[in-house]
Parts: sequence; C-alpha cells; structure tokens
Amino acid sequence: MATVAAPSRSTAARDTGVVAGQELRDLWLAGRGLPLMVAFSLLLSVITYLGATNRSLNFLERRETVNLTVQVAVAVGALLAMVVAGDAISGERERGTLESLLLAPVSRRGLAAGKLLAALSLWLAALVVAGPYLWFLARGVGAFTDAMGAAAIAGTLVAVTFTALGIVISSLARSNRLSLSVSLFTLLALYTPTQLPAGAKQGWAAELLLRVNPVTAAEHYIGKVVINQHGWTQDAAWLLSPLVGAVALTFAAVVVAPRFMSLRGSALG
Amino acid sequence: MAAEPRPTPADDPAAPPDPSGARSRAMTLEARGLRATYGPMVALEDLSLTARAGEVLGLLGPNGAGKTTAIRVLTTLVRPSAGTFAVAGIPHTRPAEIRRRVGVLPESAGYPETQTATEFLRYFARLYGRSRAAAAAAAEDLLAEVGLAGRASSPIAHFSRGMRQRLGIARALIGEPAVVFLDEPTLGLDPAGQAQVLRMVERIARERAVTVVLSTHLLAEVEDVCSRVAILNRGRVVADGTVAEVTRRAAAPRRGRFRVPSDLRRRALAVLARADGMDDAKPAEGRPDWITVTLDEVPAIATAPRVRIDGAARALAEAGIPVLAFELDGARLSDAFLAMTAER
Repeated sequence: MATVAAPSRSTAARDTGVVAGQELRDLWLAGRGLPLMVAFSLLLSVITYLGATNRSLNFLERRETVNLTVQVAVAVGALLAMVVAGDAISGERERGTLESLLLAPVSRRGLAAGKLLAALSLWLAALVVAGPYLWFLARGVGAFTDAMGAAAIAGTLVAVTFTALGIVISSLARSNRLSLSVSLFTLLALYTPTQLPAGAKQGWAAELLLRVNPVTAAEHYIGKVVINQHGWTQDAAWLLSPLVGAVALTFAAVVVAPRFMSLRGSALG
Repeated sequence: MAAEPRPTPADDPAAPPDPSGARSRAMTLEARGLRATYGPMVALEDLSLTARAGEVLGLLGPNGAGKTTAIRVLTTLVRPSAGTFAVAGIPHTRPAEIRRRVGVLPESAGYPETQTATEFLRYFARLYGRSRAAAAAAAEDLLAEVGLAGRASSPIAHFSRGMRQRLGIARALIGEPAVVFLDEPTLGLDPAGQAQVLRMVERIARERAVTVVLSTHLLAEVEDVCSRVAILNRGRVVADGTVAEVTRRAAAPRRGRFRVPSDLRRRALAVLARADGMDDAKPAEGRPDWITVTLDEVPAIATAPRVRIDGAARALAEAGIPVLAFELDGARLSDAFLAMTAER
C-alpha cells in the first residue's frame, strides 16, 4: 500500500489557507460576523453622536474625543475577535465537530492558524468600520491619519494578543463556557488599569506596570499620537509589551496549544 | 514500529475454503496487544484484531465495552499505552499518514448547521489536499452515492438524523480511505433508515473494496452485513471470527422442541425426562404435538448441546417414538453476545 509523505511546511500553510477560507465563509456569510459589526457600528454611532453633541463631552478637546473613540474601537474590536477565537476550538468540541477535524489529515497548527486568521478578520472589519466615524470626529483638527495609524498599529497588536489568547484558552478548555469566561476575565483584568485615576498612574512602579500591560501600553501610545501629536516612532518603546504579547501568544496559539488540542480539552476544566 | 503480520487463516492450509475470496485480499488493519487508559481507568486491554480489504468487521459490545476507544486508538485520536497497530501497512508511529488512509463517522458526530451538504464535503475534500475543482467533483459524486444529490444545496440544519448519518458516511469516504470506521451509524434511526444505512455499508465495502469497521450494539445489523465480528467486553476481545463461528463457539442453545405423535406425547415426556443432559421436559404451550425440553446447565463446550439433543432423539427412537420435527432455540449471535458479555 502506498504511503503518503509527512506534511511539510507548505502543507501547513495550505491547511491554514483552507481552514481560514472556510472559517471566513462561516463567519461572514452565515455566522456572527455581520451582526457583530452592525452592533459595533451602532456603538460607534452613539459615541460619535455624544462626542459631537453632548455638552459634557464637548468640554473634551476634539482630539481627546477622537482618542476616546479610538480606544473604544480598539477595546471592542479586540473583544469581538477574542470572543470568536474563544469559541473556535472549544465550540467545535462542544458541537461535536472537532473529532472530524482532528481526524482529517490537516495539521493542528494549520487548524489553529486558520481559525486565528478568521477571528482576526473581525478586528480588521472593526478598524474599517471605525474609519468613517474617526474621520467625522477628526475633521477640522487633522487627527484622522494619526487616529487610524495609531489604531492600526497599536490596536492590531492588542487584537492579535487577545485573539491568540482566545485560541490558546479555547484549545485547552473543556467547555465553551469556560473558554469564554477565562478569555473575558483576562481581557477585563488587563483593561482595569485604564480606568484608574491619573494620580494612581504616577511613579516608576506604576509606569512599569503600565508598560508591561499590553493594553495600558497600547492605550498610552495611542493617546500620545492622537492627543499629543507625537510622531509614530517617538513612543514606540510603549509598543514593546503589545508586540511581545502578540508574538508570544501567537506562537503559543499556533505552535504550543495545538499539541494539547484534544477531544476532551487538556488543562482547563 | 510496524506491527508484523501474524499468521492468519489465509496462511493456514487447514483453514476452510473462503468462497468470498476475502482472505486472499490485502490486510488493511492489524492491531496487536493494544492497551488504552483514561487516567486510572483501563478502556482497552490487549486488543488484537485484523481485517482485510472488502470485509465488514463488526465491533460488538455493550455500552462502555471499549468500542469507541478502540476506534479512536485505531484512527490515532487516542495514543495507546501499549501495543502496535498498522492501517494499510502504515505503522501507528506515523499517525498523520494513517489519518490520510482512514475515514471515520464518529459516534456523536456534529455538523456545521449553516453549511450546505456540498460545502461541508468540499471543505473536507480540500483538507484532504484536493484542488477546488476536484473537491467540488468529489462532493457531487459522494452526495449522489449516498442518495443526497437532491439536497446538495440544503443547509445541514434542515437534515434529518438519517440524512446526517449518510452525509457523515460520505464525509468518511472523501479521502478514498483504505479503512472506514463507522461508530454506531444506525443509532437513533428508524428501521427504514437503519436498513438504508446498512445496505450502503455493504455496498461501500463491496464496490470500493475498503475495510469497514462497524461498531454497534445492535446485533441484527451485524448478522446482516458483517463478514466477521469481534465482541468486546470491558475493553477486551472475548470472541472474534465469522458470525457463524462466534455463534457456534459461544451460543450454547439451552432449549429445544420435539414434535411427536399426539397419542405418544405422554410417553415421550417420560422418556425425555429420563434422557441424559435433559433438565426438564414439558408440553409446549398451545402446541398439542410438541414437547419443550430444557438442556442441563453444563460448562460451555461447543458441541455439548448438539450431543445432548442427539442423545434425546436417540432415546425417543429407542422407545419407538418417531420424532416428527425438531426446533432448537438460541443459535443466534444475540445469544453469543449475551453469553460473552454477561456480568461475571
């Protein structure tokens, strides 16, 4: 009987493409992608309307309003991508479709990478949807390019970090509920410092924590670019932790977690 | 390491002739001494079995006997803690290659509800490395083969359980496997649906010359379609062979009926009550010419029931009572199954 060669790197890339293609179809043509983007768009509409008309918010500098909108877009966009990623493997497990996928001659890395890419499409869509709102708010202060650029750079790093985290947790969790709970808790825990008053963010220890936390570091970078009109590279050091988070968690999602991808789930639950 | 071929009936010059020719076909599945555990629980112990191309091997056993675990081990989803196996000549140490040569319908297979049947099969064909065009063609052919061509564009959400099972079988065939594992394919189907799936299984094995491993606890379907059976109990194979062999080996019939002339029935009852190996003899209910006999409980020896029945018939003949007819209960696979899987 003929034997078949072991999957090569190009096979894994091909697997990734096939899985991502199907996942994208499932997400955008028949799944949650469009409803989620409609909801995201409604949220940005409300924020933009309030930013443009509300008296309290009008006390903010226009650039601060743009910054606020970018921060919301990044937070919600990353959240949406993470929720889809958190369901990616554990959801298949719960729906009974994972066994067939694991039995197919597709590399588990390809499977994880394809699902990661498909989930990230939500972030890209969120970025595109945020564009017109940011243009509307930024008109007259010339902040549109700064806002879109900062969102594209820092926001993408944050989104990749959380989406990859969602894939890792989903690969390990025994139930979808557990996967989503752990993912959401992690995201909220990392966002909590953004709500601290400015006084609590003083001192070297606070700055270290802000720099280490990819969310607060990205928030800081976006604020410097959009509000203080710093150049793209002036505060690039603040992107270190989002970059490390994105690379490390993508590695974990695509290389490490697939080794533990099983019918029952491995470590969590 | 690959499992080395062990002696099979094909190598045995004393083996009975094989009119189906199955024994001359290639060995596609060989497992030896497989053991699998879930934590402290032993799910499989010393599982050894073989199957050839074109055979339908029935994997029987009560719930929890280890059938699903056996399939998961043989399809590389669960790693055995001991033993070896090979599928289509590929040793278990090369799981990725084995996955290219097997097709599986899992016991509780789920389906993406929003995909259409064509989309579902096309996706899996692509995962098996086919081009877009080849995947579309394969999906179309397989949907026709399992009788779903008319529902190719319907979302799977609208499919009945039977249609889903047929779609699952089509998915199992998408990679042109050497061995197809079907785990409880008729579970939850009505009798017509069961018959439809079983005919399909038979046809697949015959026309595609693949080995089908059919896991089930429904015995009637095994007798219908399986060329060989392996009975599992508590993770171990307790019997294997053809249906006839397994039945003969294990299913010791315990009851039979003699028909005698009605005017001699009273005498016949007395003769049978004294005959060796008879535990009980009494008039058959509602059948005036018949006597029901119960055989003694003796250690299971394959020929014992026949010998005892022969002795009873001889005793009747010697007493001048003609035996007009005779029936023997229990020579069925279900009796063998119950005998071999009974709680001990």
